[in-house]
Amino acid sequence: MTLKLYAYGIIDSPQSIDEPLEGLYGAPVYNIPYGDIGVVVSDLDPQAQVKTEESILKHEEVVEKLMVRFTVLPMSLSTVFNGKEELLVKVKKFHEDFVKNLERVRSKSEFGVKILWAGNTIKERIINAHKKENPSPDPALSGTKFMREKFAKYKIDKEFEEEADRCIAILDGFLNRIASEKKIEKLKTDNLLLSAAYLVDHEKRDDFETAFEVLRNSQGGDLKYLLSGPWPPYNFITLSHSEDGKLGGLDLVETLLKHEITGNER
Amino acid sequence: MRQKVETDSLEIFAGEMEKVQGALPKKIAANPENAEKGLAKLVLTLIELIRKLMEKQAMRRVEAGSLTDEEVERVGETLMKLENKMKELKEIFGLKNEELNLNLGPLGDLM
Repeated sequence: MTLKLYAYGIIDSPQSIDEPLEGLYGAPVYNIPYGDIGVVVSDLDPQAQVKTEESILKHEEVVEKLMVRFTVLPMSLSTVFNGKEELLVKVKKFHEDFVKNLERVRSKSEFGVKILWAGNTIKERIINAHKKENPSPDPALSGTKFMREKFAKYKIDKEFEEEADRCIAILDGFLNRIASEKKIEKLKTDNLLLSAAYLVDHEKRDDFETAFEVLRNSQGGDLKYLLSGPWPPYNFITLSHSEDGKLGGLDLVETLLKHEITGNER
Repeated sequence: MRQKVETDSLEIFAGEMEKVQGALPKKIAANPENAEKGLAKLVLTLIELIRKLMEKQAMRRVEAGSLTDEEVERVGETLMKLENKMKELKEIFGLKNEELNLNLGPLGDLM
């Protein structure tokens, strides 16, 4: 049976890993060198499940341990290669990108910021304002009536988003001053106003955490704040051929964060 | 490097994040009994995506005032029929709105 390779990340060194590290299913973690970089992997039974919560946590644990000694480009969850040859073909293709990304994220880590607002209440207010402006519904069922209803909803959604944009501009403006880069998603749900990742230099970590505290304390009770991190830079890896580049990803951080939150609740 | 989560509203965030899709895939139970439903789910998701895009384009045109009253009526009737047909099909295959969701990256979720 030919074993597959489970990849955890790219590191800025072709050297072997001195510290013994345990990967998925207890397999030892090792480095496959390519030029001046390396891909950290462990062997994997072809039948083994990799998309499990345990795998995510193990993946994150390995990446975190690697980050103590190296600059790491964390791979996306469940990046599996059929063998060393296939892996090296990919590394060759992306080598230049990997080197550039390693340089970009060197001495930096990621912070996650989530901000909740009273989205449902705000939407309700916008809906009521629209109802006052257009109080009488059309009596007959028709294409025109359908379009008017849809258009009213479209306008409400648009206004809601514009209000969110105004809020986000203020909040993000405050944190973005300290970060090197950011990735922002707005309104993943009506109440989840902002879901952002900031790439922060290690030397500025304290400044970022302080800025977050200042922001949190400066607002009234309308907004709820969550700061997570530092994380490996899952969301800040850019590849020129993105269809092949399975690195990082907000989804992975979301899952890790969910685990952190659930763990804290217990 | 130990991660930490700092918030004074843990329960509220936990509840809200339950609605957000994570990295673990939703299980697709493919077997002979539900193959038809699985296929219907895939097809209806794509139709829903196209329908929503058409609807958004129509709203933009209404907003820009580039449709005559007759055109508004005609487009509205078409979109209404499409929406009703989708409702019918979802009922036939026992699918809920949230099952036809797609993460469209920076554009957000389809549903």
